[in-house]
Amino acid sequence: MESAAEIAGISHRYGTVTALEAVSLTIPAGRMAGLIGPDGVGKSTLLALVAGVRRLQGGGLTVLGHDMTRRAERQAVAPRVAYMPQGLGRNLYPTLTVRENLEFFGRLFGQKAPERAQRIEMLLRATGLDPFPDRPAGKLSGGMKQKLSLCSALIHDPDLLILDEPTTGVDPLSRRQFWELIAAIRTHLPGMSVLVATAYMEEADRFDWLAAMDGGRVIATGSPAELRARTGAATLEAAFIRLLPGGADAAPVALPPRGHAPDATPAIEARHLTKRFGDFTAVDDVSFTIPEGEIFGFLGSNGCGKSTTMKMLTGLQDATEGETRLFGERLGAADMQSRMRIGYMSQGFSLYGELTVRQNLMLHAQLYALPAARRAPRVAEVMAEFDLAEVAHQKPESLPLGIRQRLQLAVATIHEPRILILDEPTSGVDPLARDDFWRKLIVLSRERGVTIFITTHFMNEAERCDRISLMHAGRVLEMGTPAEIVSRRGAATLEEAFIACLEEQTGSAGGETAAMVPPDPAPPAGRMRQALTRAGAYSWRETLELVRDPIRLFFALAAPVILLLTMGFGISFDVNRLSFAVNDQDRSAESRTLVDEFGSIRQFDRRADFASRADLDARMTRGAVTVALEIPDGFGRDLRRGSVPEVSLWIDGAMPFRAETARGYATGVLQTFAARIAREEGRGAATPVTVETRFLYNQAFLSANAMVPSIIMLILMLVPAIMAAVSVVREKESGTIANFRSTPVGRAEFLVGKQLPYAVIAWGSFWVLFLLARLLFEVPFSGDLGALAAISAVYVVATTGFGQFISSFTATQVTAVFATAIITIIPTINFSGLIVPVSSLAPAARTLGRAFPGAWYQPVSVGSFVKGFGWAELWPAGLMMLGFCAAYLLLSVLALRKQEA
Amino acid sequence: MGGQSLKNILRLTVKELRAIRGDRVMIALMIYVFTIATWLVAGAADTDIKNLSVAVVDEDRSQLSDRLAGAIRAPLFTPPERLTAAEAEAAQNAGRQVLVVSIPPGFERSLRRGDPATLLILIDATAVAQAGNGASFLRQLLLDEIQGYLAPGAPAAALVAVEVRNRFNENLTGSWFTAVMQLMNSVTILTLILSGSSMIREREHGTIEHVLVMPVRPHEIVFSKVLATGAVILVASVLSLAFVIEGAMGVPIEGSLALYAGGAALYVVAVASLGLMLASFTQNMGQFGLLVLPVIIVMFMLSGGITPLESMPGWLQVVMRLVSPSPHFVAFAQSVLYRGAGLSLVVWEMAAMAAMSVVALAIVLARFRKVLAG
Repeated sequence: MESAAEIAGISHRYGTVTALEAVSLTIPAGRMAGLIGPDGVGKSTLLALVAGVRRLQGGGLTVLGHDMTRRAERQAVAPRVAYMPQGLGRNLYPTLTVRENLEFFGRLFGQKAPERAQRIEMLLRATGLDPFPDRPAGKLSGGMKQKLSLCSALIHDPDLLILDEPTTGVDPLSRRQFWELIAAIRTHLPGMSVLVATAYMEEADRFDWLAAMDGGRVIATGSPAELRARTGAATLEAAFIRLLPGGADAAPVALPPRGHAPDATPAIEARHLTKRFGDFTAVDDVSFTIPEGEIFGFLGSNGCGKSTTMKMLTGLQDATEGETRLFGERLGAADMQSRMRIGYMSQGFSLYGELTVRQNLMLHAQLYALPAARRAPRVAEVMAEFDLAEVAHQKPESLPLGIRQRLQLAVATIHEPRILILDEPTSGVDPLARDDFWRKLIVLSRERGVTIFITTHFMNEAERCDRISLMHAGRVLEMGTPAEIVSRRGAATLEEAFIACLEEQTGSAGGETAAMVPPDPAPPAGRMRQALTRAGAYSWRETLELVRDPIRLFFALAAPVILLLTMGFGISFDVNRLSFAVNDQDRSAESRTLVDEFGSIRQFDRRADFASRADLDARMTRGAVTVALEIPDGFGRDLRRGSVPEVSLWIDGAMPFRAETARGYATGVLQTFAARIAREEGRGAATPVTVETRFLYNQAFLSANAMVPSIIMLILMLVPAIMAAVSVVREKESGTIANFRSTPVGRAEFLVGKQLPYAVIAWGSFWVLFLLARLLFEVPFSGDLGALAAISAVYVVATTGFGQFISSFTATQVTAVFATAIITIIPTINFSGLIVPVSSLAPAARTLGRAFPGAWYQPVSVGSFVKGFGWAELWPAGLMMLGFCAAYLLLSVLALRKQEA
Repeated sequence: MGGQSLKNILRLTVKELRAIRGDRVMIALMIYVFTIATWLVAGAADTDIKNLSVAVVDEDRSQLSDRLAGAIRAPLFTPPERLTAAEAEAAQNAGRQVLVVSIPPGFERSLRRGDPATLLILIDATAVAQAGNGASFLRQLLLDEIQGYLAPGAPAAALVAVEVRNRFNENLTGSWFTAVMQLMNSVTILTLILSGSSMIREREHGTIEHVLVMPVRPHEIVFSKVLATGAVILVASVLSLAFVIEGAMGVPIEGSLALYAGGAALYVVAVASLGLMLASFTQNMGQFGLLVLPVIIVMFMLSGGITPLESMPGWLQVVMRLVSPSPHFVAFAQSVLYRGAGLSLVVWEMAAMAAMSVVALAIVLARFRKVLAG
């Protein structure tokens, strides 16, 4: 049989970490092939390489007969491969409905509307999702998300289906239904090859062919039966453990029986716990009693209410109804005493990555108020107990998951709690480390009488618990010892017992899948048309997502308005109502005329007179007086006599611009006064020269007339750039970027498609800002509105393009937001004519300003408003901005990688 | 329990400080902002008149008109370009020249005859930050020059002499002011980001849950974040003030550095509390970034540091003084650093900042558990 993929000597490194080490493998075609092994052994890397979403670092790879080292061949094979990345529904768009998600994927493969509708109908019926086409993907249960992900992978009839841990975190029933669905699909599409990575050995037992991996290498290949036979193990899990280095002589985990003390107060008692969030009931009337020293397993799918129940047991959340008792005492949210009794390990690693192992332990010892003398010995004790001494000075981030979990357990037990609450402590840990972890738990339970409340997805771990309970949709369905539950349900294994239990609850018996009859593929559309369909798919989806995300929508629509209002009113160079005080020592007619002269212009706002220099000092120091005038005794007399009297003027210089302007006004007033006296007295006029100043474009010299059009430049630079920057990086963070990598969409199609909605919104903002400027700030408009609108459209395309350029090389939304802000704010505020005219800038600053579109748009905006500009004046700037659009797109295409490193 | 609570706050503060030390990007950003950015912006973008572009349309072509053109000099103005009236109009239209001096034909002859003559200054009034003051300087300069040419050595024929004294900043250099305002801007940006992200990071990593299971109260966590962020930013800003602004840039600091540090501490606490409050309204760093950016711009632009508070409409002044600590800090900093004011004169501004911290922290604590549940 030919192969689906031919892997020849592939190695892959992330920095100094080796993910794959010279892997060579032939994956059979038309079969169900599996990669097995715990997290972090290189399974996902290998799948991503086969799917073509990750760049090969070395070695040869042929997928469906195409050489993946060549770009053209990768493009040719992309439409024949489907890739479902790791993580529950990580390639789905949570705010889009089931149907919209599938629509999007259909469009990405260039399908026309009738073909898409037909395929979506067929897939929804086949997966049993047809009752919920309008439910947002984010509101689906884990199992349904997986089915939807599968539908989106199957929409284009792939020849190779790649599934990366498709069932992690899904309840046993949904898991079984998922594999039944895959089996049904394979009977309808017999030619399809399936390649799956999984950490669940029970599942892998049903595959046709397996490759077991450990530490970046393939340690064995063959059918499950062959692997079991080769190691002489009864189960695949045991077989895998024996294949691991050092695993051959690992002893099985044994649980010694627990000594009974029936009269003792129970360690944990939950009485009718209920938790509601709004109208959603997360936990519905849950009760249980756990005696001291018991290991109690708490099972259920993701999102069934397990974590919420645990938070109520630890006092992290208050119950809506019901109560928790620990050793007979009621637990309150602010109860510090009972917290001393609890050790908690939350889902996922939750210690401080910036502290070393020892510092983490010390911090917890301190916060649990261990006496100072006890702290260091106790830290040493737990480090010895959990084998952490060797890594004491390392940071947890650099440690393997198994050791990190041991550290979390060490931290949780540092204050010797009597109860341990552990939320999925072993997920993602390899079987050997898991067994090791369980041995520690058993010691704690059996030798020290610690009560352990634990959640897990692994059935073999559930079997080790004294008692277990199964939770589904907020309710506890079953509780008892594992053996009791199996016999009560008349099942062969615990897993089957649970499935029976869940089926009874949900009322579905797995359900036969409807026939998968793919429609005849329509004749492919032209290349150009396909490209447009794909770019359109991204525009359409981006618009839907934006409309449904209140925070981003608020930012896009309201931020420009808020910024214009605050800055338009706030940044004003009109110096008005300067606080002004007088000390008129003369009190003559002349001095009063002079004081009145000051009071007559609106720039001065006269406050109470000052009596002495000390009084003035105090008021000026407080900032209560900006300009002060002192008229000396004898001012009027001197003036009449013709000798030149001297007045004193004090100006607060703490704000230079204001002081400069104030001084200009004050000297103007004094000159007017002098001219009037000269006229009245008929005394010799000074020089006959007059200097007339004429304010062009803005006769009243109003700040708003120039500032508001400039602020529009700033806002239309900043807000669209940040919106566009976030749009691409969001996909990187949420994982949906995988769809860009694994489908035939091109880089330019992706970028232009995503940019379009933001450019349209920004152009809408331009009109809103324009109207605000005209109506609220009453800025006159004398130019050609058509020309301004057209150039503004080009400008927002350029600014959104700039944002996309930033996002094509940044990794997180925060970096994208702040990088865009820091890079744009300094040149647009300082070097684009907002405050200092570009013609007055030093050459370096001028060049820096002109390297951004803002410096080109500012004269366009100001010119159109107050200088009466039309196309004749504006076209060169418009052309320049078109150049920016093209340059940013080109740079983004170059910086954006179709394959991950 | 009070002693234990205080100890917990201290221990968590030490933990926060270690976290800040571990974040190399943030440290690099802080160093950049407090040194190079402060220096750059203070040097480059002030509203001082410098190199203002001027053109001369000389239709007189006399000795006087030559002398007038020659008097327009650096540093205030660029050496004037000689243009025809039409060229000057085009240049001003295109924004290449801010001021145009037009000298009419027969200007010198008229003056010599004692006839009135008019000199025209055309101002591009769209350059609002510079054109007004620039034109009044130019006007004074031209008048003095004409006076000196026509009646050399004659005393100024003013009727009233004015003695103008600029208090607190005698030469009205702008870099003083912009440097201190830039420092406040840096403090605002970094404190908001640092405190907000310390909260969101804990939520994203699940560490906050972990800490809350321990015998630690929410206010201990919140206070430790405010303390750690505040201490780091405060120390950095005082160092920047002492070494970059006073030391390297030579801006004299008039008031008491200790009083300034006290007020700055209150401001940093208020901004850190505000950052935590904003963080409590967002789910992740991406949303926080979008929310915090307009806040930063508004806080900075409307603080009274860029343009005077009294030029704003009255309602906006009231709103800004109610919701933002920045106008209070600007008023405080001006009083202490330039005017050498003592505690009694700035106590109300300080009280306002303290009150804002209390309100913001109360909101954070009230939302704390709700935020965790969401």
